[in-house]
Amino acid sequence: MTNDQERRPASGNGRKQASADIIGANSEIGRKLRQYYDEIVSEEVPDRFAQLLKDLDQAENTRDSK
Amino acid sequence: MSASAEFKSGLLAAIPNLRAFAVSLTHNTDRADDLVQETLMKAWDKHDSFQPGTNQKAWLFTILRNEFYSQMRKHGREVQDSDGIMTAKLAVHPSQQGKLDLADFRTALKQLPEDQREAIILIGASGFSYEEAAEICGCAVGTIKSRVSRARTRLQELLDVSGEADFGPDSIATQVLSTNN
Repeated sequence: MTNDQERRPASGNGRKQASADIIGANSEIGRKLRQYYDEIVSEEVPDRFAQLLKDLDQAENTRDSK
Repeated sequence: MSASAEFKSGLLAAIPNLRAFAVSLTHNTDRADDLVQETLMKAWDKHDSFQPGTNQKAWLFTILRNEFYSQMRKHGREVQDSDGIMTAKLAVHPSQQGKLDLADFRTALKQLPEDQREAIILIGASGFSYEEAAEICGCAVGTIKSRVSRARTRLQELLDVSGEADFGPDSIATQVLSTNN
């Protein structure tokens, strides 16, 4: 999991610099864009998704054991 | 074959990013979460077609995007085409000089044609390369570049900000002037 966190490029230094040439990484637009996006990324993930994955997992196990 | 543990943890880890992308497409948290749910179910069903070692996040974004556009078509919503859109001047006034309000930014982002909005989000916020974004959107790299560029220009117009000088000499000069007064 830690690994996935580190690989996730959406926040911080991992963000590719390629965007800088067109958007302007330090421009007001570039910063607002990340602020807008990161605000949603940092929201708590609704329980329904953990539950969904659990259900899918269970359905798979039931199927496989038949 | 069952989905591997790595595949599953990849799904879980991608959820925050998928939600952010979905909100930027739908402008609505409930619709966005439904879209993410559909995406996770589709991804689970076709996990066999995912090649381990390739970019799972990009793969998931592609599924989400396809799902979004197929829903739009199903509901008869028109998919905006940036070439045909009218250029309407939006009444967004930056609340303070040089400082953009996030709410204003959201309003402006909404005004962008879908293809431009997704391009600037994928490149400027999701952290994808132009190549990855082109793959996700099923178009050429050059197309992504021009969409991003047009999106940026349009946002600058709507929000009445310029490119690099936003927090440059102008704001400093103003401070100096007001101190002198």
